[in-house]
Amino acid sequence: MTSVAENTKDKGQEDPIQCIFFSEFHPIVGPMITCQVPDNFISKDIFDTVSVYIIPKAKLQRSTITVTLKDYKILGFPVKIDNKKYARNAFYFNLCFVCEAKARTVHYEPVVKKMSDFLMALEVENCFLSASEDKTRLAEMLQQVMQDLNLHKMCTLTDIKDVKHNILIEGTMTSHLKVIKLAPEPKPVLDHQVPIFLEGREVFQMDQWDLTTQQVLPYIDGFNHVARIAAEADVENNLVKNCVQNLIYYGVVTLIPIFQYSNVYAATSKLKELTENTKLQERCIAYASKFPRQPAYLRDIFRMYASMTHGNSMRDLCQRLNPQNLRINERRLVQFGLIEGLIRRYPIYLPGSPYNEEIKNNPVYKYFTGTYSLDEICCSTGQSAAQIEDIVERDPNVVMLWK
Amino acid sequence: MEINPLSIILVKSDSKGDRLLFRYPHVAKHTRDSNQCTRRKNPYSLTITEDLLQSSTFPISNINNGNLTGVTDEVLSTLFAVKPELCEQKFELKVNDVRFVGHPTLVPSHGMKEVNSMLFNIVFALQAQASHSIVKCYYDLSRRLGIALRHEEKRCGFLTEEIKIMVSTHDEVATRSEGESDCDESPYELILQRSSLSRDLKSVFSSLTTSGIINIMINKWIQVRFCLPQKVHQSHKKGFVINPEIIDKCLNSLRPYHGILLLIEPLDLLDSLPIDSSPALKRLIQMYSPLKSLQTLAADSDLTLTQVFQLTGHLIYWAKATIIYPLCESNVYVVSPDAIITSQLLEVFSEEFPGLCLLQVLNDFSLPTSISQQLNPLSQSQQQTQLVKIIIWLLKNHLLLQLHTYVQYMPTVHGRVSLDAKDELNHNINEITENNSACNLNDVTKSTSADLNEELSMTLHKENGIYNYQSEDYDIPSDDRKLLDRLCRLGYFNGGHHLEEIMYLENIRRSQLLQILDKFRDVLITCKCEDPAIALFYSQFGS
Repeated sequence: MTSVAENTKDKGQEDPIQCIFFSEFHPIVGPMITCQVPDNFISKDIFDTVSVYIIPKAKLQRSTITVTLKDYKILGFPVKIDNKKYARNAFYFNLCFVCEAKARTVHYEPVVKKMSDFLMALEVENCFLSASEDKTRLAEMLQQVMQDLNLHKMCTLTDIKDVKHNILIEGTMTSHLKVIKLAPEPKPVLDHQVPIFLEGREVFQMDQWDLTTQQVLPYIDGFNHVARIAAEADVENNLVKNCVQNLIYYGVVTLIPIFQYSNVYAATSKLKELTENTKLQERCIAYASKFPRQPAYLRDIFRMYASMTHGNSMRDLCQRLNPQNLRINERRLVQFGLIEGLIRRYPIYLPGSPYNEEIKNNPVYKYFTGTYSLDEICCSTGQSAAQIEDIVERDPNVVMLWK
Repeated sequence: MEINPLSIILVKSDSKGDRLLFRYPHVAKHTRDSNQCTRRKNPYSLTITEDLLQSSTFPISNINNGNLTGVTDEVLSTLFAVKPELCEQKFELKVNDVRFVGHPTLVPSHGMKEVNSMLFNIVFALQAQASHSIVKCYYDLSRRLGIALRHEEKRCGFLTEEIKIMVSTHDEVATRSEGESDCDESPYELILQRSSLSRDLKSVFSSLTTSGIINIMINKWIQVRFCLPQKVHQSHKKGFVINPEIIDKCLNSLRPYHGILLLIEPLDLLDSLPIDSSPALKRLIQMYSPLKSLQTLAADSDLTLTQVFQLTGHLIYWAKATIIYPLCESNVYVVSPDAIITSQLLEVFSEEFPGLCLLQVLNDFSLPTSISQQLNPLSQSQQQTQLVKIIIWLLKNHLLLQLHTYVQYMPTVHGRVSLDAKDELNHNINEITENNSACNLNDVTKSTSADLNEELSMTLHKENGIYNYQSEDYDIPSDDRKLLDRLCRLGYFNGGHHLEEIMYLENIRRSQLLQILDKFRDVLITCKCEDPAIALFYSQFGS
């Protein structure tokens, strides 16, 4: 559940590009900035101290190099074009993005690289970079890239006919730049986990997903577990897992445990937020109420959550508090709590026991190692939780751990 | 693993130019260049020699089997011999998937008449994924080593001597290999034999990869001690990294009623302390007991509370201790959600406590259990001490987690309604009175601080009928109401304070508090969770 919170935190953190500059190795002057937006953002003094990292030795050409200074972080991708026509038989340039010193710039790396390749292509085709001292077109281009990337996270570059100088640039080259936020690799999806949409399903256009996902999506309802989705959608199990993992990466779904009335949930310290955050309250009431016209009371909802402690199963809670009378849909209540991290599931682990001959006959025993949860065992052996609890009850060598 | 360094590199730059003096570990010869050219994405594809536009679309990596590759010594030395403007501050450079961190240090040249100064830089190569806090720790280490070396250089020209040895060894190997080409002994091997600084750097590297604690004497004179918290705290759990930020967060929420639990035996800890360690720390460790709160410890060891807090922070940072609530009978424990039971743990446990099985013991804590519940009224004191020992062992291994009771005050069915939300809810006539009372309570909380207004607010509540709901059944003494009112006003019932904290701050007894909770159970909702300060050390809640 923590991954959800991390994802949202990542989204909120924006590291805009503060400046883009184009530097080249001048045959007489040496490394210099030839074009920069906004103008004079990186002063000559600062550039000189780091020029060795911007126009580096030949060995480091075509490497992404990031240098962190006191106030700035400069990300570049030095490129060298060998050709006899240049003054030193080669043209060195580097297109650099500048961000704040504390910013994360890893996600800009592919963009810088792609844009450098685009400029390189322009240079090879028609000497766009080296032909004239006038860099207004390049400045326009950099300005556009910086604006579009900061605002829309994407940008389309097309070269146009440069009418002013009567140089015909054949307008066929286009480059699409997109900043992709890097999310941490999602953990492998397991059979017994239940995918659930984080936002309304209506928001997603069916046709933007691949065929497998399209087939799987209708069965994701927050109650079906992965193995069941695979069976119902008639899609191979591993494909469903990959597909769900992909959806998790994009923050469309998250994973929660199977809902069962025998489950034990525990409130987390985040539950405190429910009393302070009115937005969260409204969403929670809307989500967990049985009838939209007669919303449940916050106090009842809070009491339900607060009573979820170690040792109180959902069944006990329902008997004691009777959520039906309180106009609470307990299944959706649990879903909301799990998604928001207000409560967490208490999985049960069965630590192993010394094997003996008789035990080996029962396939269930191979799962009693302390690494499998009850849900997992039920899912892979096809037995109900009650059956397994029964086996554990009869065998003094096996103990159950709630954690 | 992203915490471990890939390499440690020493570079100098002076009037004679820049030079890479030492790197560890050193790989024999770089084979990357030849590999890179011949590697194709699939064996049937044509090798296009001059494909400018699409050359090497796959990401270039400078890491091979956990070693830094593909960058020659010369390239590294030009990169790390920074311009004077960048000296004495953090140096951070990322090349492809390797991040270099260092602190370029300037030293005035020893013994020379010229004012020429020399620059040296101890650089750590890390994986690029290493987080900000890891980078910061490595930077700090480089800075410390720099300061120590500068001191030794000023004192006796140690650095100049060592540099001389390294440079001459490099030159020796270079000239030798010209003559006899079959000799491919690395100069670094020879340097390791000849120079003590290089051996120090090697030991720094190996302690970083093994324990995370560095304790070296540079030139047998100046001691450098350093702790890499991300590494030190990792011993008990895989894949869960404790950053200094987490430790800071924990220390900020440290309260006098918390206690400490030493993770190693107090006597061992005393032995491991350096000679010049603070006598206050020694006193604290001598007085240590997991049953004592920090306040008691401060009184017993005759230190101020702030001093004890600082020492605690120190012990936690170095992974010598962890924070607990002092052991007492009413403490409720439950199996920690991230407990991983390994067969090794089982063995250690049965060695420590013969005749007991860890699984059985843990099973007792599957449901939240207090120590007093675990104790049999008939049991002898021997059993009691045994139980305390077991709990301490379990806490040390992060297998148990303590639960606290938090109280939430909910006067209306809509929770604690804020002033702006009031208007929205006014449509329901039945609730208006309740709303008003809640708002008044909030107003009162803000405006009054003295006890003088207590009576006033009491009458306000009575007028609005907030507490009248129970009077039909039985009468509640006004003392209890007064107490409830006071506790509410002080903000103890907003879910952020557990019972023990309220007891400590207000100096009231548990039974009194429990009575209040019971009498006003309709508006006071209790909830059991872990203390956020302590839970920071458990992976489940860490992030």
